[in-house]
Amino acid sequence: MQASFQRVSWIARVTFLEAVRQRFFAFLLILGAAMALSSVSFRVLDFGHGELKFIADFGFGGMFLFGSVLAVVMTAQLFFSEMDNKTALTLLAKPLGRGEFLLGKFAGAWAVLGVFVAVLSVLLGVVLWAREQELLLLAEQSGKVPPTFSASGLAQFALLQWLRLGVVASIVLAISAVARTFLYAVVVGALAVVAGQLQWIAQDAILKPSESPAYEAVLWLTSRLLPNLQQFNIGDALVLSTAGVESGAVLAVALAGAAYMAAYVFLGALLFKRREI
Amino acid sequence: MRRLAPWLCAFVALFAAGTMAEHAWRGVRPHIPEIGRKELEPTLGQGVLLGILGGLRTVVADLTWIRSYVLWERRDRAGCEALMRAACALDPHSRYFWENTGYAVGFDLAHWEIRRRGGYAKVPAETQERLFHAYARRGIEILEEGRRHAKTTTPLLLCAAQLAEIKLKDHRLAASYYQTAAEAPDAPWYAARICAQTLWEDGRREEAYRWLRQYWLTRMLPKEDGFPDDLQRLRTMEQVLGVKPELRIPRQAWER
Repeated sequence: MQASFQRVSWIARVTFLEAVRQRFFAFLLILGAAMALSSVSFRVLDFGHGELKFIADFGFGGMFLFGSVLAVVMTAQLFFSEMDNKTALTLLAKPLGRGEFLLGKFAGAWAVLGVFVAVLSVLLGVVLWAREQELLLLAEQSGKVPPTFSASGLAQFALLQWLRLGVVASIVLAISAVARTFLYAVVVGALAVVAGQLQWIAQDAILKPSESPAYEAVLWLTSRLLPNLQQFNIGDALVLSTAGVESGAVLAVALAGAAYMAAYVFLGALLFKRREI
Repeated sequence: MRRLAPWLCAFVALFAAGTMAEHAWRGVRPHIPEIGRKELEPTLGQGVLLGILGGLRTVVADLTWIRSYVLWERRDRAGCEALMRAACALDPHSRYFWENTGYAVGFDLAHWEIRRRGGYAKVPAETQERLFHAYARRGIEILEEGRRHAKTTTPLLLCAAQLAEIKLKDHRLAASYYQTAAEAPDAPWYAARICAQTLWEDGRREEAYRWLRQYWLTRMLPKEDGFPDDLQRLRTMEQVLGVKPELRIPRQAWER
């Protein structure tokens, strides 16, 4: 068991180092950071929202957009580089199981996504804090109630985003395990992200009565096989709302995300075992 | 069977994760702004999807609103309303979107439709009136929907009151909106005065006087300047209604 863990962590470490050295990662990180930092300048476009809400939304958008691109493209690229360079053959000729290989790849990719989310969250936190201080001063002068943000809420949101990107990475790995080409894995992975973001429509539809049992069965099946990625988007409530979100609800989302990650990595490992390299 | 067991395990794990996600979704659903297929369908392919997908909702709502202005300039009724409604759906907590959508639908769209049908000279007066009523009602419906979602609702009430008063000529409905707005903690100074005026014009003069008197005594008098203009209005009402001197509001030290 310990030897297996060591092999997985070794693959993960190599994958992580390979990924953080990529220009693609640096490029998306810079884009995401620029989006979070420039949000203050873009607030002239805002129509009567709370200022902090606009800034936070800009940061959340960067995290979602560039994080999703990174999770889909980088995960598929890390997997297919091993296949195309035939390094996977060399690695798997050693006492390393295919499941361990895939798990290592996933852990490495997820760690890189963790760095991405952490950097953007810290930057967003700094921007929100700086603007909050300015607004506090203005509110004192005008006698209005100042808007505030929750740093712990931002930390919880960052954790949820990391889990969301982990779910995406695990789906992309499962797709890559059967895909023949990198492009196919990226396109299907991107479609899976869109479907996951819209999955809640199926979940809401289940709650409404329907006359067709076949329709209900399809909805039920899709709402279980596809993860509901929209449930991770509770940034507004966590970061800006005074009421916040019940800790039980955040924990339930985190557990569901972890369960999806485990299930998709397991499915990917099964698919990878049948693949001809 | 042994070959199938791992696959079975994988699908059981997925179903278990799905069940957990369903439970989790019920917990967080109230914290995610509602947007249904009804709002989605007319705006698909216009970038709105991006806002529904992730964290850019506020930004996409703003851009959608800007694009709705372009259609407003072109007097495109369907497109303008669809985009304005999409902005409301993307950011339902924003009072600004609801208020301006209510105004645009309630006040502007009827004029555009009359012009499209040939202009004010060509369209019969009763048809014009019917159109003004229909769009004003739709505007009020939007504002009512906004009241359920927006964080600040008093401006929406005032907008609904204006629509009811100016377009529907329904003073009773307008007075009820003004009254609710005036009684809100963030009521603007003019809401109570207009409410009393509307009740007065609706023929409910006694009620208008009683209501404004009570409002003035409890909410205006304790304020720094005591709202002398409103007291002046109350004095006029007392005079018109013939209120006995001993039943009138006691004379204030600062009263002219």
